[in-house]
Amino acid sequence: MFNRAFWHFLTLQLFKERQRHIATLLLSTLLVFLLSSILFISASLRHTLTQTLKAQPDFVISRTQGGSPTATPLAWADELAEIYGISKITPRVYGRYFFKEKRESFLIMGVDFLEEQTHQGLEQLLNESDLKDLLSGKKMLIGEGVKRFLSANFYDNEYKFLTPKGKFVTVTIAQTLPAKSNLLSNDMIIMPLALAQEILGYDQEEVSDITFNVPNPDEWQNISDKIASLHYDLRITNKREVAKSYEHLYNFKGGLFLVLFIILLATFLLILYQRYSMVYSSEKRQIGLLRAMGWSITEVLQLKFAETLLITLLAFLLGVVMGYLYVFILDAPLLSAIFLGAENLERHLTFTPVVELSTLSTIFLIYALPSITAVIIPVWRVAITDAKEAML
Amino acid sequence: MIRIQHLNKSYTQGESQSTILKDINLTIAKGETIILKGVSGSGKTTLLSLIAGLEKPTSGSLLIDQEPIHKLPDLFASKLRADKIGMIFQHFNLMEHLSVAENVMIPLIPRRWHLKKINQQVTQALQKANISHKANTLASRLSGGEKQRTAIARALVSAPEIILCDEPTANLDKENSLRLIAMLKTLHQEGKTIVIATHDPLFEQLSFPHRIIPIENGEIVDV
Repeated sequence: MFNRAFWHFLTLQLFKERQRHIATLLLSTLLVFLLSSILFISASLRHTLTQTLKAQPDFVISRTQGGSPTATPLAWADELAEIYGISKITPRVYGRYFFKEKRESFLIMGVDFLEEQTHQGLEQLLNESDLKDLLSGKKMLIGEGVKRFLSANFYDNEYKFLTPKGKFVTVTIAQTLPAKSNLLSNDMIIMPLALAQEILGYDQEEVSDITFNVPNPDEWQNISDKIASLHYDLRITNKREVAKSYEHLYNFKGGLFLVLFIILLATFLLILYQRYSMVYSSEKRQIGLLRAMGWSITEVLQLKFAETLLITLLAFLLGVVMGYLYVFILDAPLLSAIFLGAENLERHLTFTPVVELSTLSTIFLIYALPSITAVIIPVWRVAITDAKEAML
Repeated sequence: MIRIQHLNKSYTQGESQSTILKDINLTIAKGETIILKGVSGSGKTTLLSLIAGLEKPTSGSLLIDQEPIHKLPDLFASKLRADKIGMIFQHFNLMEHLSVAENVMIPLIPRRWHLKKINQQVTQALQKANISHKANTLASRLSGGEKQRTAIARALVSAPEIILCDEPTANLDKENSLRLIAMLKTLHQEGKTIVIATHDPLFEQLSFPHRIIPIENGEIVDV
């Protein structure tokens, strides 16, 4: 059946009834576009978070008092060093710096240049620049959101931070962090550890938390238990827990995603119902006529299947390509705001292009299979009735 | 040859049953022209549909060249219909979005022929039905007479042995009706078996041999 004459007739059917098909094509393309955009954003966010988490230390300890985090004694780092199986112990200083007049805040991160782990990742991000040189003296690296905010307030090259002791500290902007790290670094300021301690009001013997690695994963639980018992106010978190919390935050099971997804599916079901009904209303006579002209049930099904498959595939390709362009080239205006939620700084996120086969198969399964079924089942039901009845 | 024996057709709607055809017995020889004559609702169109295999009888048998079309699996019944039967409908039943030539090629698509051969057959059928000049015109833009000629070309394109016509002049003026009758005469002369369901008096004075079968209330009336 699938010979040249068949394809010729199929083309005629598609082209000459294009007004009917265009409506279906446009609706389907829009649906696939929205569906693929959501899934592309989700996949890209998960990819970025996974990559970010890879560079994170295995464990973080901090001090909590009365359920709230407080300054962690630097001396705890020495206690950790005595436990066998622990490596790369790194004290960190970070905290939010508030702009009272604007009611906005940045995240200040202090970097210890004597410690390799933290700033190696940063150096890679900054295309192998020597971080120590870059931040020598009172300099800082800032995220894109911080850059925009400071520029809008006429701080193009430097900013004067007010310390808790009432002293102004002028810090020069060394470089802006690349857009690809925006998901995490949009509102971030990276500066030398001592400078961060001064601005955030820490003593020299205090830090925000201490990170370390445990290379043997089998020892994670033992070491975690041992450390937890060192101090009653010590809180320990591992990378897996952080990964889970990120997953919960951005996973497609998340509230907004689910709502969007359900709305899309509901719309899709309506379209399918309309398509299903259309077979009975406008294509029934045509099917009866083909049967009267000597077409078998199989041949009618083949024609309608090929017709639907072509439209479905075209809508699928168009929708996916549009989704790709929208998310990875245009950075998903509107939709990204819904996903990322309200931020104290306007976020310009660049999504890392991630096109997984599983994402494409999911879109295809959610869209194409029901679309084809919604046509083939009524076509089959009409085709098996008497041709005379179908033509009425 | 078409042989119909004890053919009955009834429709069930809810609990009520209406009988359309009652105990029809009829044999139509190869090359014969039959006029099924009767008023609207007498059952002649249903009989034509049963012969074409467009619906199945409630009981009885219907053989076309010894093949029981009503009992054949769909694939064989469709092939029999495609090969041996050409149907001309009262309302033409054209695909309005296609051109005349495209409508005419529809019965040939499942034949797996080369497109060139299909086009040759279509051209011949269009010439025979005297509608070649409208080959590329959309069916929706044709007059009644032109639509009927397109339907005839479509019925003839697969060179069937049997032509079934359902009220072929019902939507035509007298001039077009006479043209159609002249065309049927040519087909008769070519040896086609023709069955016409009509109540048009024009068919009572055909200039070629024919047999009139009156049908009343679903039964063949002995004359």
